[in-house]
Amino acid sequence: MALLEVKKLGISFGGLRAVDDFSMTIEKGQLYGLIGPNGAGKTTIFNLLTGVYKPTDGTIRLDGVNITGKSTIEINKAGIARTFQNIRLFSNLSVLDNVKAGLSNHYAYSTATGIFRLPGYFKKEKAMNERAIELLKPFDLQDDAETLASNLPYGKQRKLEIARALATEPKLLLLDEPAAGMNPKETAGLMDTILTVRDEFGVTVLLIEHDMFLVSGICERLSVLNFGQLLCEGKTGDVLSDPEVIKAYLGE
Amino acid sequence: MKKFLKGATGKSFITYAMLIIAFTAVQITVSGGHASNMFQGLLVPFCVYSIAAASLNLTVGILGELSLGQAGFMCIGAYSSALFSVCTKETITSAWIRFPIAILIGGFFAALFGVLIGIPVLRLRGDYLAIVTLAFGEIIKNVFAALYVGYDSRGLHFSLTSQGDLGLEPDGKMLINGALGISGTPKDSTFIIGFIVLLITMIILYNFINSRTGRAVMCIRDNRIAAESIGLNITKYKLITFGLTAFLAGVAGALFSHNLSILQASKFDYNLSILILVFVVLGGIGNIRGSVIAAVVLTYLPEVLRSINNYRMLMYSVVLIVMMIFTSNDKIRGFFSASLMKLKGLIFKNKAVKEGE
Ligand SMILES: Nc1ncnc2c1ncn2[C@@H]1O[C@H](COP(=O)(O)OP(=O)(O)OP(=O)(O)O)[C@@H](O)[C@H]1O
Ligand SMILES: [Mg+2]
Repeated sequence: MALLEVKKLGISFGGLRAVDDFSMTIEKGQLYGLIGPNGAGKTTIFNLLTGVYKPTDGTIRLDGVNITGKSTIEINKAGIARTFQNIRLFSNLSVLDNVKAGLSNHYAYSTATGIFRLPGYFKKEKAMNERAIELLKPFDLQDDAETLASNLPYGKQRKLEIARALATEPKLLLLDEPAAGMNPKETAGLMDTILTVRDEFGVTVLLIEHDMFLVSGICERLSVLNFGQLLCEGKTGDVLSDPEVIKAYLGE
Repeated sequence: MKKFLKGATGKSFITYAMLIIAFTAVQITVSGGHASNMFQGLLVPFCVYSIAAASLNLTVGILGELSLGQAGFMCIGAYSSALFSVCTKETITSAWIRFPIAILIGGFFAALFGVLIGIPVLRLRGDYLAIVTLAFGEIIKNVFAALYVGYDSRGLHFSLTSQGDLGLEPDGKMLINGALGISGTPKDSTFIIGFIVLLITMIILYNFINSRTGRAVMCIRDNRIAAESIGLNITKYKLITFGLTAFLAGVAGALFSHNLSILQASKFDYNLSILILVFVVLGGIGNIRGSVIAAVVLTYLPEVLRSINNYRMLMYSVVLIVMMIFTSNDKIRGFFSASLMKLKGLIFKNKAVKEGE
């Protein structure tokens, strides 16, 4: 059974049909790319998958469960976590606390336990700290644990967002332009990190990216979106050599 | 050690230490007979306003929502606790048992109203909380000012019009007498109890902020969309925070009412809510310790300045402006800390030179 099954997804903003009749199937463990020109509707698809927008048409199934129309919180609990195109960190919190926030639902203790510092508080906080450091390591952020998130350099902020998303133990990880603003060396490092994360944490990855070096380097399959519609879908090599795709990217 | 003091736990311990030192200093001054009557009369209000301001900072600074109804919650806490004490002062004679119960009752009813208001309002985005709490504070004040409650052998009687309307039997007893409020509340609020309650309040606030819940609340403040994306239940955490703020405001109200022989609702007006908000803003939004310092300084100052009556308000406003600049302007704060560092460097360098000689 496929991990993610999207059927005939669609949404309109007023008169604008931002996504139309979009279908996609992602198998467990795949590294999948979603590409397309600016304004094609890629981020909108992420917002539909995570419940930020409610689709006007179509269904979304995760691991066989219908999650269409569910809230963002429920969808995260069902197993989808994401990063954002415009970085959205908890900027006044430390790097460690950003990740610990992601761990919050898995290391739960009551508010009263926290206020009265009952034994559960110390146990859970200790476990959370250890797990958070473990999550920072693949991103080489463990030495920045006490740094304020907003004081991190841009590239590290993007990595921290991935670590935070992973903390929620997702089945499917959505990355919106993870390499944006990175130099080629940083991008190469990020590609390694994404592969390691996929293998180590056993997540399935769906990523949006304009950087073709990254896309052709690590994505196994691609879907190409153009004006909200699926242009073509298939193995990375086949898709990138498709004349239709080249035309959509380069214009007539 | 230095790292510890800079961390979250360290910060809270510095605050506890500061409070205990201040308390000890005051106790020594008072027992030595060096404190004026005016100063002694302000000791309980210091605690009341510190608790009210620090707890409001939880909603304003940590949750990032504006609340203009702190006086309303204090009012509920003041009335419910005073009512309890008036009714039980003959049966429970020990203040050490009666007053803690009264304080908890005050906190409980304030929190109850906080949650009731919060459920519809905190789901919304935008400044609705400010509008609703503003209205709430005024409504509470006016309802209590018009409330008549008494009891006799037939039980409790309520009225919103007049004392006569209650139809009390001749041996009946008035509990709440409209605009005249509640009288005969035992004066259980002492500085020692006020201080203990303040210290417990600070421990609750710091422990809350440095826990899973507090972290979630700050995440919501910093970025609501990201907080949702990692599965944090926005409404739940907002409600808990606002409820805790209301609870502590109720506790402050209970301390307040047990410090007065006559409790009147008119005290809990809009100006009081704003005054407490001023403490929060001037002490630094999100800075719990700052709220306490601002509350104490700005409660003390107008009284001290009474002696130079004509310039009182002028001085007061100058202090307000200076504090505002100090606490909210990063550049000026940076300038002062930089010059402090330079000064330190100068002193230490001189020392080094001397040692070298
Ligand atoms: N909330 C919204 N209201 C109205 N229009 C929207 C909204 N969100 C997206 N759109 C529109 O939908 C279209 C697709 O936007 P989207 O952000 O999904 O593009 P994208 O493929 O992610 O582009 P980019 O590569 O630049 O990030 C755009 O025309 C955008 O203006
Ligand atoms: Mg986009």
